[in-house]
Amino acid sequence: MSEIKKIIKGCLAGNRRDQELLYRRHSAKLYAVCLQYSGNEEEARDILQEGFIKIFENLDHYKHEGSFEGWMRRITVNTALEKFRSRHNLYRVDDIDMIQEPDAEPDNQDYAGLEANDLLEIIRELPTKYRMVFNLYAIEGYSHKEISTMVNISEGTSKSNLSRARVILQRRVGSYTGIKKNVANE
Amino acid sequence: MNEKGANIDLLFRNGLKDFEVLPPPGVCDSILSAVKIKSRPYIFLRIAALITILLTLSFLTYRWSRELSVGPSSPVIAFNVPVSLPVIYNPIDNPQYLREEKFVPFKNSSDILTVTDDQATIQKEIETTSSPDQIMNILKTKSLFITNNEATDGLSLTPLITSKENPIKINLPDFQYFPENIITKPEKRWSIAAMASPTYYSSFNSGSDALSKQLVASEQPLVSYSGGVAFSYKISKRFSIQSGLYYSSLGQKVDGINSFSGFQKYDYTKGGTNFEVLTTNGTVYANNPDVFLSSDGTNRVLTAYTNDVFDPKKASLQPINNSLDQNFSYLELPVILRYKIVDKMIGINLIGGLSYNLLVNNSVYTTIDGNRYSIGKTEGLNPLTLSSSLGMGMEYNLSGKLSLNLEPTFRYYLNPFSVTTGSFIHPYSFGIFSGVSYKF
Repeated sequence: MSEIKKIIKGCLAGNRRDQELLYRRHSAKLYAVCLQYSGNEEEARDILQEGFIKIFENLDHYKHEGSFEGWMRRITVNTALEKFRSRHNLYRVDDIDMIQEPDAEPDNQDYAGLEANDLLEIIRELPTKYRMVFNLYAIEGYSHKEISTMVNISEGTSKSNLSRARVILQRRVGSYTGIKKNVANE
Repeated sequence: MNEKGANIDLLFRNGLKDFEVLPPPGVCDSILSAVKIKSRPYIFLRIAALITILLTLSFLTYRWSRELSVGPSSPVIAFNVPVSLPVIYNPIDNPQYLREEKFVPFKNSSDILTVTDDQATIQKEIETTSSPDQIMNILKTKSLFITNNEATDGLSLTPLITSKENPIKINLPDFQYFPENIITKPEKRWSIAAMASPTYYSSFNSGSDALSKQLVASEQPLVSYSGGVAFSYKISKRFSIQSGLYYSSLGQKVDGINSFSGFQKYDYTKGGTNFEVLTTNGTVYANNPDVFLSSDGTNRVLTAYTNDVFDPKKASLQPINNSLDQNFSYLELPVILRYKIVDKMIGINLIGGLSYNLLVNNSVYTTIDGNRYSIGKTEGLNPLTLSSSLGMGMEYNLSGKLSLNLEPTFRYYLNPFSVTTGSFIHPYSFGIFSGVSYKF
């Protein structure tokens, strides 16, 4: 029996030691996901807490098919979405400000020197509605159709939000790398 | 790139892949306490559901047995009735006495009954009657009742308004049986029993993985025992319900685990346990800092002190034993239904029911020269388990109140002691309970 199966069985039996073990092993990765979807640390902490409670309470539904980490990540993302839906009203395509897209997309070299912490900071600066769509599409790999159901928006809104998110991110990344280069030159 | 903006997507996807941030302290505790609180009602609901089912079954059984006993009746002649006569009481004062229609034997005409009413009148009436029924009618109309009269060592007929100072005697005609439409003495419905049994303990294993098989193959049951006090209430002629409190001790020997003493001086780690042993009933955590554990060619002992790191022989540790003993003690609260198949001098009962078992002690030890050497505890045990039992009880009646009992009983644990290792390992036990019961 794999170790994770052993831990899951222990958690199902109410063994606190195994519950702690599960938390210690996976909380750091899941907290990073929470930060990615939230605007501040307090909100991220709430998502992590609610997400883990759901994970423990639904462990018996995990069929040991596919990645356990992926299963936990999906629960965490869904928890973040629930929080988002409860706090934000629906928004329409015409809510979105028309932002002029840059003429050329920077290549990978322009991004050199950016670390995960920087990326997290940049992504968290996005407006919530853009951040949600960008995370679901670009990081999690959902389609616009799926996102429209999950976030309760139209597919068109999902596409527009993604487009705006990319524009903002490219600008921020550009300015970030510029700042970093300047700091390095100094 | 097929899609505009995919570069920026890749940057974030790859950059944040496997990214970790330690959550703030205290989150773990609040999560685990919330999970615990939410799991409690589930246990209470299960207990409530079980009690409801048992009560419903008991009620239905009671109704069924009542219907059987009230069914079509025909006069019954009692054969093999003991010579000692039943005591018959006045029903007026005490409604708990049951009304029954049956024949009871009377002594022959030489028996003397004592009354305080008009002797001549009653004697005359009784002598002119031709049947026991008529005699009983006379007794009823005169408000007479029959009771034991220790002074005369026989039966007495006494009116409701007694006058013992002036007894009179009458003779009864020579009938073998008298019909009775009067009140009989209440049955002894309660009984208390002290029972004990050695038990054989083992488990069903449906785990198919190699580790489960390896664990099962290395474990042998230890001699176990169970005993306690049981109370039962007779809800009908054949059915009774039983509960009580039992203490049972179960255990198993885990072979192939070598233990050494004297490890403490080599242990530079702080806190926690250095050795964990996988068993079918959970993981043993060695909390004795002086003990060193290793396994024979298996990976059942989890430790940082593997053979390539630490050699107990080179360190001259003292070998203790090559097996561990796991022991679990439970307080059992059974709810048992008993059905009497044979109701004679030797009675036979069919027994079945459920028990809630509360874990009260859990220890792991090994032995050296007959003395116990503590290793630690088994973690991950279910604090509360449910077991079902089925048995056949034999009851030898020493007297009306005392009886000897012998009850071979099979017990199957519905949930395993632990689910942290192995899969679907359900313990069972077989014991022959013996003891004495007292009816009151």
